[in-house]
Amino acid sequence: MINMDKLVDVENSTQSKQVFWDQDIYDRELERIFGRCWLFLAHESQLEKPGDFFTTKMGEDSVIVVRHTDGSLKAFLNSCTHRGNSVCTADSGNSKSFVCNYHGWVFGTDGALVDVPLKEKCYHDELDMSKLSLPSVRVESYRGFVFGCFDETAPSLADFLGDWGWYLDTWMVGAGEGVELIGPPMKSILKCNWKVPAENFVGDGYHVGWTHASALEMLGGELGALAGNRANMPFDELGIQVTTRHGHGFGVIDHAAIGIHEKREGYAKFLQQTLPVVAEKLGQPRANIYDGHWNCTTFPNCSFLYGTNIFKVWHPRGPHEIEVWSWVIVHKDMDDETKKEVVKQAVRSFGTAGTLESDDGDNMVNSTRNNQGGHTRSNNMDSRMGVGHEGPHPDYPGIVGSSFIGETSYRGFYRFYQEIMSAESWDEIRANDEQWADCFPNKDYWKDRLAAKSKGGDQ
Amino acid sequence: MHNIEAKERVSMALHYDLSQHSYQEASLLQNREFSTWLETFVAKDVHYWMPVVERRYVKDKRSEPTPYDMAIFNDNYDEVKQRVDRLGTGTVWMENPPSSVRYLITNIEAFHTDKENEFVVLSNFAIIRNRSQLEHSEHVGCRRDVLRKVGDGYQLVRRKITLDARVTEDKNLYIFF
Repeated sequence: MINMDKLVDVENSTQSKQVFWDQDIYDRELERIFGRCWLFLAHESQLEKPGDFFTTKMGEDSVIVVRHTDGSLKAFLNSCTHRGNSVCTADSGNSKSFVCNYHGWVFGTDGALVDVPLKEKCYHDELDMSKLSLPSVRVESYRGFVFGCFDETAPSLADFLGDWGWYLDTWMVGAGEGVELIGPPMKSILKCNWKVPAENFVGDGYHVGWTHASALEMLGGELGALAGNRANMPFDELGIQVTTRHGHGFGVIDHAAIGIHEKREGYAKFLQQTLPVVAEKLGQPRANIYDGHWNCTTFPNCSFLYGTNIFKVWHPRGPHEIEVWSWVIVHKDMDDETKKEVVKQAVRSFGTAGTLESDDGDNMVNSTRNNQGGHTRSNNMDSRMGVGHEGPHPDYPGIVGSSFIGETSYRGFYRFYQEIMSAESWDEIRANDEQWADCFPNKDYWKDRLAAKSKGGDQ
Repeated sequence: MHNIEAKERVSMALHYDLSQHSYQEASLLQNREFSTWLETFVAKDVHYWMPVVERRYVKDKRSEPTPYDMAIFNDNYDEVKQRVDRLGTGTVWMENPPSSVRYLITNIEAFHTDKENEFVVLSNFAIIRNRSQLEHSEHVGCRRDVLRKVGDGYQLVRRKITLDARVTEDKNLYIFF
């Protein structure tokens, strides 16, 4: 029997280590999280022409995303409605139809069954093909990012993202023509629970200085000072951390967007030119975070770093293993040379052989694997950093933490994790829309802090 | 960049020389003598490249990856040097205790090129990494190198690494190929 209140203690900011290990918890995650949330599928830039397709996963389900002949985007399960074999075995491509290798059933780019070998003679013309389409998945896009959802009762993608979309717009639409993803994705296996990297990206500014000491020391630059946590830095003045409805969240290190790019002239110039555009289009609060370095997770399993520009999906493969897929984010209106350099820098730091990526794997694997031990697993994990130093902010939606080093968005992630794992339906979740942030009780944190600051400034 | 044409096969003596060079290189890497490897075996104008290769249908007409596309390694000399330097910082927690990395280099074929002092060398590799207690990973693929005769030895000018696996079954590829 899964007791979510016991597994995630919102009041005391702890989580049971069982959430990284137990099969029954994982099975419920597939049903209630991966079965009900919007999951990243592809970017529209990968699917421009009719017939362009990309094969991916939603939880453990294999899914094809395709541009249909009428121009719309479709997604459906990659499993023949006859005996279940795959109907597409390539990573991507362009195709008029998908043909099952087993008996030759043919499906159109809308998933409809369009041909069955020997249907007149062997099915005696009695097969109702209209009832044998590939099961379809809801598809919606946000600023070119295509998501799929298995649940018809889930909110729209825009509502699911909610205030998180307000932040994403900063660079998805604020700076010009928008962004695209450069692939094909790198793919690798990491033997960890999917939530370990998801929580790390949603709000772990804390590990940067220690885990990545070697890479930061070698790279130098703005973030070099963090190496080994040696520098005495005023962390509460260097950025913020945010959690929004539905568990999304991020941390931002102010003005550090290109902090780990070695060759950066093109990107620096792009940021410089577009910063005033963001301010004019979206206002100063978002301009202030536009040139920051962002670590983010869109609940549940889509994480990225804006600034470094790596974009990742953690596909679960059981409770103890994930497939990591990594693309690079570039602005469409960057010149080709700048795009190339951004791709190179992103991959060099956070690709499969990346200098920073290589620091993270062991931590994530061991944080999972150690829970094989029952005594270990009977303990809790702690995420209380910055409790009380967070609250609603006059300029930024969601709950805003005092610093990019803090665990505000960990707490937001696991608060929603507990909510969606407990809820029988989306209606139950919707009923909490007004009071979800009650677990962050210091409503006056920013009011007091900003007042103190302006008072300090007056003196 | 990596399409320097392979001409006629080299002599038995030269093939022996180039093969020994490959084994020496493997020996330096598996003995963790990365700085020596970089300084003596790698040319300043090296391009060290591992493209991402998708699984595509045979009829797919899209072009092969170029160094301008997504690649796991896409390094010039300074970037290879940074990888080496990082391993020397003393704060790469993952390499303490160090991994054991074994190189099996086979199927060496060597060819002349248009330049008298440069050779195309093809090889297959199996690189096996053992770490911690039971952690074990294998990376199999091939390399297309361009080696330049420098003094008594050779230096790496181009290396295109092709992994056979689409999905890397390892937590990272922070090893030299």
